[in-house]
Amino acid sequence: MSDSTAKANGAPLITVDKVNKHFGPAHVLRDVCTHFNTAEVAVIIGSSGSGKSTLLRTLNRLEKHDSGSIVIDGISVDDNPKNLKALHAEVGMVFQQFNLFPHLTVLENVSLAPRRVRGLSTAEANERSMALLDRVGMQAHSHKHPFALSGGQQQRVAIARALAMQPRVMLFDEPTSALDPETVKEVLDVMKGLASSGMTMIVVTHEMGFAKEVADRVLYFDKGCILQDRPPIEFFDNQDNPRIRAFLGQIAN
Amino acid sequence: MTISAIGWPAGWTRQRRSQATIVTASLSLLVALWVAASFIALAPAPIGPNAKFFAEGMVVTVELTIVAGLVGVALGLLAALGKTSRLLPLRWLSGFYIWVIRGTPLLVQIFFVYFALPEIAKSTGSEWLSQMSRMTEFTAAVLALSLNVGAYNAEAFRAGLEAVHKGQFEAARSLGLSKWYTLLDVTFPQAFKVALPPLVNNVVALLKDSSLAYSIGVVELTNVGARVQSSTFQPVPILITTAILYLVMTTLLTQITNGIEHRFDIEGRRA
Repeated sequence: MSDSTAKANGAPLITVDKVNKHFGPAHVLRDVCTHFNTAEVAVIIGSSGSGKSTLLRTLNRLEKHDSGSIVIDGISVDDNPKNLKALHAEVGMVFQQFNLFPHLTVLENVSLAPRRVRGLSTAEANERSMALLDRVGMQAHSHKHPFALSGGQQQRVAIARALAMQPRVMLFDEPTSALDPETVKEVLDVMKGLASSGMTMIVVTHEMGFAKEVADRVLYFDKGCILQDRPPIEFFDNQDNPRIRAFLGQIAN
Repeated sequence: MTISAIGWPAGWTRQRRSQATIVTASLSLLVALWVAASFIALAPAPIGPNAKFFAEGMVVTVELTIVAGLVGVALGLLAALGKTSRLLPLRWLSGFYIWVIRGTPLLVQIFFVYFALPEIAKSTGSEWLSQMSRMTEFTAAVLALSLNVGAYNAEAFRAGLEAVHKGQFEAARSLGLSKWYTLLDVTFPQAFKVALPPLVNNVVALLKDSSLAYSIGVVELTNVGARVQSSTFQPVPILITTAILYLVMTTLLTQITNGIEHRFDIEGRRA
């Protein structure tokens, strides 16, 4: 275990042990071992196809791992329906393509899961959803449909939608990669706010500025393995690995 | 020719305008059926004197269409879910149903339900099945038409379900929505919107195909025309009248479905 993960909060919230995953002949995760602590912000970077998104998706069972174990807050990530239900209540996810429900308004997008899964009344769910929309600065757009919003606005709604289930962990799968450059900042600002509120976050991204500023750890993925796991200052400023230096050089350009 | 184009008050929302269109068009269809007799009665012989029969025929045609249309939509959805199911027997069953219905003539299907089903039921020796299979002409026609349009609707729904982006399922799953709510709240509304134009085609086709119910003696519009013709020997005015009445009905039906499509048009593409 990397000593850089040591944060005051104690026992790990998520434990990933010897996880393997194949897509046909491709071995995309190789004996991945790591853990994530409560209130920690971990940023995962690496070239495309290195397995970083796949690891994120195995954490909430959008992908099944072939071997090894993942435990989140005492819940084993497997096909047991009870575990899955508990898991989805613990883990929120934000996607590269937002994946908002296009036929529902912004408010309906956020309030759907609290009503259907938590059993809240429409009034309660709407109230909670409006508070969250306010938090991501989208309250004024609550009556609109996703098609009428910019990418950055859609992604902020998607964050509010995930938060509405009151998860303990938020997973971000390249949340700004599909955005116009001018709307990236508004999404990153929401994510920074979330981090400073103490949310546990695992973020796959190419935004090195965000990693430097917000992350507690930077994990570098290479060919299905975690090649490096360091605090951002060491990772960016004292990088001794030539491959990672080459990667960072490419990203910077 | 569309009612939705006549311009509802500018301040109305899309939902309200589409609702107004659906209600107006449905009422128009009812009123058309209601006044058909007195309206057709104004026509000269041989049409005028037989106005009552034409109007009754129209009502039966609309009844066949509405009942078979509703059952057919439900059947189509079930078959489409079956065909996209993970369970092999369900996929097989739905595939078989669609294959048989789309590969055989509707007329044969109507004859099969009306003449062959009772024979088959009798041969099983089951009293209950024999009872069930002894249907009126109208019931047999509805059953055959429902099965027929259901198979075509299934393909429309399947296309709709397959058009829903994978990310929608992933978002629903990551929020913890059950399979049922994922279908009800996320997948079905999006699939239905995509399936709507082909569904409308199928229902308009159904209204016209209901004329085949004539073959087992249901007194719908085509049958009325044939009867009047055989008693008056004037095919030209009678067939023209029959065709015009079908046109009136399909036009009004299209208004209702336009209203439904407008309701799902969130992006305002149809304006």
